[in-house]
Amino acid sequence: MLAGAALLTAALVLPAPPAAASELAKRGEYVYRASGCGNCHTDREAGGAELAGGAALETPFGVFYAPNITPDREHGIGAWSDEDFLRAMREGVSPQGSHYYPAFPYTSYTRLTDEDLRALKAYLFTVSPAARPDRPHELPWYARLRPLLYFWKWLYFEPGPYRPDPQQSPAWNRGAYLATAAAHCGECHTPRDRFGGFDRERRFAGTKDGPEGAVVPNITPDRKTGIGRWSERDIAYYLETGMTPDGDFAGDVMADVIDNGLSHLAKDDLRAIAHYLKSLPAIEHAVSKRKKDKPGKRDEFEY
Amino acid sequence: MRSSKNKKAWSCFAVAALLSLPVVAGAESEPEDIIKYRQNVMKANGANMGAIAAILQGKVPEYKDRLGDHARGVQAGTKNIPALFPDGSDFGDTEALESVWKDRAGFKKRSDDTSKKADALAKAVAGGDAKAIQARFRELSDSCKACHKDFRKEQQ
Repeated sequence: MLAGAALLTAALVLPAPPAAASELAKRGEYVYRASGCGNCHTDREAGGAELAGGAALETPFGVFYAPNITPDREHGIGAWSDEDFLRAMREGVSPQGSHYYPAFPYTSYTRLTDEDLRALKAYLFTVSPAARPDRPHELPWYARLRPLLYFWKWLYFEPGPYRPDPQQSPAWNRGAYLATAAAHCGECHTPRDRFGGFDRERRFAGTKDGPEGAVVPNITPDRKTGIGRWSERDIAYYLETGMTPDGDFAGDVMADVIDNGLSHLAKDDLRAIAHYLKSLPAIEHAVSKRKKDKPGKRDEFEY
Repeated sequence: MRSSKNKKAWSCFAVAALLSLPVVAGAESEPEDIIKYRQNVMKANGANMGAIAAILQGKVPEYKDRLGDHARGVQAGTKNIPALFPDGSDFGDTEALESVWKDRAGFKKRSDDTSKKADALAKAVAGGDAKAIQARFRELSDSCKACHKDFRKEQQ
């Protein structure tokens, strides 16, 4: 009886017939793959449920734990309206009005179109809800003052969807959209200044202070320090398989990005990303490896 | 006179050689040398993989006869990867993650998988079926990537 009533209400409330809804969710799954949500919001190492909250993201500003974004009404985003979701993704503001840390890359997601954002939400709501409470971030005192994020955003954040450049080809625009909005490549590949804002002069030029202390390579077309010697086909092949032209393979964070996301994209889209990356200004920026202590050194200091 | 001096010199050399032999045989390598060695083995694997990819993608049609050489190279180079990571070779200039030594069983499983996939590729190349070669290469690639994901740091 109750279930029947619920079904009836659902039928009245749903704006579109189920077929169209699943169509939207399907499109949303593609946006989800391109955006790599699962990489931070799923604690794979601990065998956590899909999107139920993430493993630690270590940054120079503290350790962040991505929240539960399953449709669980209490612990996830199940109670969010479309407007709540769009505002979070586009403006970096929670439904309660508090500012999100830019560890959540709304700085890139703001560039997603309304249609893609709505589709993404539709997909997220097809994932099984998980009743897992969020884990609080571990931050130094100065980063715990959330209202300061208001100033951070004023300094560094430009909200608003991607605007295609009519001077450029459709493939270039598609690549730019995928690379800068969905796949948010710049969040890891662009070095940051001491306040965590992008160093705009060195867009995509790599950094040795990536998440988890990772060394993130320069992906501008500089021939010496970037990927200038890679062809568009090489880049697209790498994004699909994780293999570099010299036979090495992506490891660690990037392997996840490829396995769970980029390898699921259409070949044309990967080619578009490659096309866009090749069009970037080449920046000479050598990202050095972080060296572990040599054994000799260790002896000297420890004993 | 001259010959006895020579004899003396020779016997000295022989004694020294005899003495040093067991020492050399029983000695363990420096961790740095092991790390350098395994990096070279892995580099060789990467180089062969890159060469195979270039051939399969049709970039270098003039070298397609060498596919078998490269496939056998990877086969040899992936035979027993965990042996390249003995205890004590975990610090220094290495990109190996701690998980290599902490999760020995997991590491061995991954590496055995890679070795098996390399065998399969070499066999497919010998068989000559282009489709099978592509498929086996893809599986080997995935196996390499899966291992790097869990056991190697992000690197430039």
